Amino acid sequence: MTAPQTRERVVKALEGVAFDTIDARDGMLTLRVERAVLGELFARLSDRAGFDQNTLVTAVDHFPAEPRFEMVWQFLSYDHNDRVRVKCSLAEADAHVPTCTPQWPGASFSERECFDMFGVRFDGHPDLRRLLMPDGYLHHPLRKDFPHAGIEPDRLYREWDKKRREGWQPNA
Amino acid sequence: MTTKQVFEYMHHAPDHDDPVHGAPMKVNMGPQHPATHGVLRLAIELDGETVTSIDPIVGYLHRGKEKTCESLGWHKFFPHTDRLDYVQPLLNNVGYALACEKLAGIQVPQRGQEVRVLLMELSRVMAHLIYIGTTSIDLGAVTIFFYSFRLREELYSILDAYTGHRMNNTYVRIGGVYADVDENVEGMVAEFLRTAPARLDEIEKLLTANRIWHDRNRGVGVISVEDAKRLSLSGPNLRGSGLAYDLRKAQPYSGYETYDFDVPVGTVGDAYDRYLVRMEEMRQSLRLCTQALERLKKSKGADVLTEDRRYVLPPKGDVHSSMEELIAQFKIVSDLRLPKGEAYHAVESSKGELGFYLVSDGSSKPVRCHIRAPGLMNVQAVPVLGRGRLLSDMVAIIGGLDFVMGEVDR
Amino acid sequence: MGSLKPVEGEGVGFLATRVDELINWGRKNSLWPMPLGLSCCGIELMAMIGPKFDLARFGAEAARFSPRQCDLLVVAGTMTWKMAEAVRTIYDQMPDPKWVIAMGVCSSSGGMYDSYAVVQGVDSILPVDVYVPGCPPRPDAVIDAIIKLQKKIEREDPLRRLLKGPENKPDIGTGEAFKQPNAGIARSSLDLHPHDPKAKLEELQK
Ligand code: SF4
Repeated sequence: MTAPQTRERVVKALEGVAFDTIDARDGMLTLRVERAVLGELFARLSDRAGFDQNTLVTAVDHFPAEPRFEMVWQFLSYDHNDRVRVKCSLAEADAHVPTCTPQWPGASFSERECFDMFGVRFDGHPDLRRLLMPDGYLHHPLRKDFPHAGIEPDRLYREWDKKRREGWQPNA
Repeated sequence: MTTKQVFEYMHHAPDHDDPVHGAPMKVNMGPQHPATHGVLRLAIELDGETVTSIDPIVGYLHRGKEKTCESLGWHKFFPHTDRLDYVQPLLNNVGYALACEKLAGIQVPQRGQEVRVLLMELSRVMAHLIYIGTTSIDLGAVTIFFYSFRLREELYSILDAYTGHRMNNTYVRIGGVYADVDENVEGMVAEFLRTAPARLDEIEKLLTANRIWHDRNRGVGVISVEDAKRLSLSGPNLRGSGLAYDLRKAQPYSGYETYDFDVPVGTVGDAYDRYLVRMEEMRQSLRLCTQALERLKKSKGADVLTEDRRYVLPPKGDVHSSMEELIAQFKIVSDLRLPKGEAYHAVESSKGELGFYLVSDGSSKPVRCHIRAPGLMNVQAVPVLGRGRLLSDMVAIIGGLDFVMGEVDR
Repeated sequence: MGSLKPVEGEGVGFLATRVDELINWGRKNSLWPMPLGLSCCGIELMAMIGPKFDLARFGAEAARFSPRQCDLLVVAGTMTWKMAEAVRTIYDQMPDPKWVIAMGVCSSSGGMYDSYAVVQGVDSILPVDVYVPGCPPRPDAVIDAIIKLQKKIEREDPLRRLLKGPENKPDIGTGEAFKQPNAGIARSSLDLHPHDPKAKLEELQK
């Protein structure tokens, strides 16, 4: 269902970069690549293929299968009004990928979120901190081996609470 | 607006005579700050009154929706989508339902789509009214809040009559909507459509040419189209900068291609333009509602839910009287299986592109449900727009970007 | 003003009441809410202040966004553990006497969010006076809660508390007796609500 113009344009822009295309159920052009070519791929998609918006950066956890993580990027081109999806598999032991923030500064928060939720590191990200969970949280909640009810959800609060009570003046 | 003026706006240095330069100061705005829309925290560094850096800290409303979807299953996630962007619950419902339908490969009957369009457009008006109300409160125009809430209350009454609850209605299902709109609701919508334009005029009369509104909004938070694109802004924020990209036109769904409506765009890309775009969008939504209502009158009696019983709940009446239907209902609610694969569907929400990226492995538990929240991208733009501006401009910038924390944090 | 009794005399007319009741009457009719709109319920809270439901009819419309000026904390919405610190700080900053309404199932019990980030009921970190069920509760329900709270205030004993001085208990930090079944953390004696009937009972038993 992928529009042939999109495929043509992307293939032309990605000349010399190794990639496979897979059939996604929703008909979006989906590329599967190795991690080594990601940096080059982002640059080409941005500059040559004209994808000017990063829609999402996320990961899928296939625990307990290996390779465990599957990174997903999605880009939109306003001029051509089409989308492309990029996928890349990662093992748990070295879960890191290059950042795409130089091309799409708008991906910054998405990458921080992905780091927060899955623990995938983005090399070269200017400010890789947790986004949604508080700093000092020890787990990555969207990993499949993390229980829905959480592990010690109140730990950080309790620590704070202890400090609060130390200087507590009931009459003040 | 000429190009020169645009240029001046963009390079508008803060025009203030500030004696306290030199001593940087850190100010913490939020998480419970009256002028932030919900629980957003901004760690701001100031040089005098000028903002030198902003660090938005989100996550104060992170409720773990994506994890919830993965552990609850496809159908039970519906109520949670309401509470994403809770000022427009039904629009979020439709977004999620469309993504599920894309994954399942089913079609919604014509009348179901018409009802959805009606609900979506009413939701859009609701969301923009909240924007007008809260932003004007933040900027000191408290009256507008009462005007916008009066209009919103009418919408609440319509939804109350239709769904039985004012907010968080959860009335959309995979394959259509839960129930048909009846004559009573149609009458209420028609009455609303008759009175709403005049009410919007009232609001506009108070704001559009208001001197204070101009001073606080014009030239504040200017962003170019190119920057807006790269910052992943979408929706009214992108259109305010001048790019007429609307998913309802560009990648139509639910039959939007057959409706007649315009996409308003701004010229400068400041907070005032975003305000104008949203005001006009409300009028366009009313236009869409009128058309949808006409179609609904014609298609009376047709189905609003598909017949495809693999994914669709049986009628409530049958569930109470027949064992098979009861089992079918039970299976769909607790054990709905969508085909293996992945699907992304985006709808034009009031904040921008609201997308759902779903991955299924064919079992009843989703592998992944990623919500592409437009609000998160809007928050991300706050530091870009706010740097170098006065602290008081932050309120206009935050208000103009318009995000709802339920969706930002998920 | 039910507690005021008109006294008729020759040439004079005055009203007699108890100081306690006068104070309670003043307090209950001028609640200053701090609308802590955390999420969806906050929108209904706005609607409640808005034109249709008009909270001003009950003397509680003077919403202030500074905790120092408020005596009624309306926790409207889902409270996460990340937000809990801020909420507790706000509560601590409010001057006595203060009351808390937990609006919506999320703040009452965690509601539909049985997840890793959400506090399962604000009563694990704050003493709550009135719980309002609903997701979101209709504004009428919250107004009802405010009326209930006014009734509760009516029964309080402010003078006695004033003369006795505020409860000055060392913070033990265990508070086993008040441990909620769903509480993530133990409540301390400080979390005892000053107007808690249970506290009163204990006091009387002493
Ligand atoms: S109780 Fe319902 S409406 Fe209120 S905050 Fe929770 S989810 Fe939202």
